[in-house]
Amino acid sequence: MIKPRNLFALALVVVLGVLPLIAQQQQADRVKAIGGKFLCMCGCGQILTQCNHVGCTMSAGMLKELGQWVNRGDSEATITQAFVQEFGTTVYAEPPKTGFSLIAWAMPVIYFVVGAVLVLFVISKWRKRPQAAGVDAAAPVTASGVKISQEAMERGRAKAARETED
Amino acid sequence: MDVFGSFTLLLAFVCAVYAFVGGIAAIITRHPLLVKSTRQAGIATCVLIFIGTFSLEYLLFSDNFSQAYVVSHSNRDLSTFYKIAALWSGQEGSLLFWSFLLAVYVISVLIAYRHKNGELMPYVGVILAGVQIFFLTLNNFVESPFRTLAAVNASGALEPFVRMDGNGLNPLLQYPEMVIHPPNLYAGYTGFTIPFAFALAALLARYPGEKWIHLTRKWTMIAWCFQSIGILLGAHWAYAVLGWGGYWGWDPVENASLLPWLTGTAFLHSVMMQEKRGMMKVWNVWLVFCTFLLCIMGTFLTRSGVVSSVHAFANSQIGPWFVSFMLLTLVVCFVAYVKNHDYLKSENQLDSMISRESSFLFNNLLFLVACIAVLSGTLFPVFTEWFTPSRISVGAPFFNKIMIPIGLAILFLTGVGPLLAWRKTSTDSLKRNFTWPLVAGALSAVLAYVLEYRNAVSLVCLSLCGFVFWTIVMEFYRGAKVIAARSGMSLMMSAHELAMRNTRRYGGYVVHFGMVLIFIGLAGSAFNTDVQKTMNLGESMKLGPYTLVLQSADTKPEKNYTAERMIVEVMKGNKQLMMLYPEKRAFQGRDQQNGTMVAIYSTLREDVYVVFAGMDPETNLPVIHAFLNPLVKWIWLGGVWVVMGTLLALMPNRRAALVIAGATQPAASAVAPALNPSVTLRDGHD
Repeated sequence: MIKPRNLFALALVVVLGVLPLIAQQQQADRVKAIGGKFLCMCGCGQILTQCNHVGCTMSAGMLKELGQWVNRGDSEATITQAFVQEFGTTVYAEPPKTGFSLIAWAMPVIYFVVGAVLVLFVISKWRKRPQAAGVDAAAPVTASGVKISQEAMERGRAKAARETED
Repeated sequence: MDVFGSFTLLLAFVCAVYAFVGGIAAIITRHPLLVKSTRQAGIATCVLIFIGTFSLEYLLFSDNFSQAYVVSHSNRDLSTFYKIAALWSGQEGSLLFWSFLLAVYVISVLIAYRHKNGELMPYVGVILAGVQIFFLTLNNFVESPFRTLAAVNASGALEPFVRMDGNGLNPLLQYPEMVIHPPNLYAGYTGFTIPFAFALAALLARYPGEKWIHLTRKWTMIAWCFQSIGILLGAHWAYAVLGWGGYWGWDPVENASLLPWLTGTAFLHSVMMQEKRGMMKVWNVWLVFCTFLLCIMGTFLTRSGVVSSVHAFANSQIGPWFVSFMLLTLVVCFVAYVKNHDYLKSENQLDSMISRESSFLFNNLLFLVACIAVLSGTLFPVFTEWFTPSRISVGAPFFNKIMIPIGLAILFLTGVGPLLAWRKTSTDSLKRNFTWPLVAGALSAVLAYVLEYRNAVSLVCLSLCGFVFWTIVMEFYRGAKVIAARSGMSLMMSAHELAMRNTRRYGGYVVHFGMVLIFIGLAGSAFNTDVQKTMNLGESMKLGPYTLVLQSADTKPEKNYTAERMIVEVMKGNKQLMMLYPEKRAFQGRDQQNGTMVAIYSTLREDVYVVFAGMDPETNLPVIHAFLNPLVKWIWLGGVWVVMGTLLALMPNRRAALVIAGATQPAASAVAPALNPSVTLRDGHD
């Protein structure tokens, strides 16, 4: 039977052996997570942790630097600041959500909202239209302000049908 | 041959100018001889471009190292296969290739419609000639591919000289897909010129607006199909060659190819509104104009150096030319629209919010938002330089965050659209049509969860895939059931018959099915994992359920490169699955550049993707980078279905053939009502 004291010693050895491994894994995960927020500066435009193209002169050095900072326990903000100081704002993989860069994030939302409002407006407008619009009401207006009659449109259609073939 | 090639391109330019100026005169005077001669000038332009292009290929094949282009993009040991690809590997050659593919389309149109569309074709000819003049200007005066090497001699004069060998082709391009990817992409870009030319011509000729749609339907689908193939092949090339484990990096050049595809897809949907209901004529014309302009813009982004990209050509001075051309085109389109927009008067009228029409409007909204979001994201770094002291990058994380919700919304509408009837969908119909697809969607989510695809976005995506898949199955099943009941054929044969009777509609559903497969593949990307390890021979590493053992390494000398090869055994448990051979290639010429060759063990469930990442500088042992990428194969399978669906949609309807045969077949008229199952199924549904 194993004595409690020995059991405790065994557990301690296991814990002491496993803890560094866990810490190492956590640091590797942190490097991966933070590295995913920067671009490789060799000009390939790839994420730092994904850039492994042959002949890349930058990614290995940048990852080494990042690893050192993570091992030192630097915060993400500090690391970001250090990278920006070293390489400029082009190092960001995505625009920061502050200042002028906020526009990049806001634009797609604005496009969608404006577009959706327009679509809803168009749908409501088209729904209000009478089933069969009167000839005169539907007659389009030319640049000179003269309405093209329905007959003129039909003549145009007939002309198109006559002059073209599928 | 270089002088000959140069001369043919110059002559082609002259012919194009004649086709343009003479075409305008022909439109004004309507003189039949002038019409004919300008058409022939258009054909001559194309033939001369073909000759010019073949001249450059001849110079590449004959290793004529007196030519700057041949020296820069080829070498003696380059295989025949890649000497073809050398044509479009450089700026000058690829611009000539643009002209070449455009000429293929132009000559096809001019010959196919030589006895048709008499009033419209002079307009079309002038517009096509205008586009050709632009590209021939670049080919002749800005980026000529026929430049002889010359050096200044002792007396200060330029003296031609010949190099012994060339620099060779860029190693990244020495991959089989690179021989077919650019031609497909360029065929897509150039192909959209045809619907653009017809749309603008119809507007200038004051056609009321429906006809050009019918005339260009097939051309648009052909261009869209090429663009889709080009994009997918590009993604596969990035996956198999670049060695970063992914297939889409939201690189500016990738984005440039996606932009016209998005508007082109929107157009292929909204065109149905015009055909069925006479709606959205103005919108469709502008969608085609925008698609063409985005094709030009894509070419501009790739070549001007405005945005940095690993795919881009070397920076050059052609940017202002492209900007001028785009502005000029925009002005012409705008003026034509302002002058003649009356003829685009639509019968826009909606009966209900819940209708096929509304779903198309939202579909177009999403495609347009996606397009503008990608465009503004791609150009944002340029804007930041204008307005702030520093340049800010916009990489993949930004685009993923923006595009995933839009993509899922589009996928949702892909399922919803076919379930809604034209004009109005009743509540009963909604219940009847949506019940089973929603059940299928829910079951798909459960299945995905059980199979451990446990990520919120992926679960939503896979659930929507199940939903859309079931709507497609229902569409085929309902139609096939009607035919089977009337003809006594089996359900499978009836489904085939159904598809052949309305190829465009059911081809569209096949394309949707392909998109479902692609989305399944995309959903898998949330679960990608990778391991990188410096390995000794015989050592192993774990990658998910797999064990990779580095068995040995060797060196394989080839004609144009030497490959350093790792031999990696893939095992699952104790079962040996296969050997993988990731390589690193050292190419001759071009400063001894290196390239990778990824080795992939691909199954429907996942890809084991192994890269030989080089030698560890400290231990001098090989570094193996292995990725486990789930569901990637579904993307390529989806691509095949997209192409098959488009080809089906391009085929003529079998029903039409029967109606023609009906003159001698009295039974045909009796058969005809039964041949349109959509009428039987839902009123006005198609």
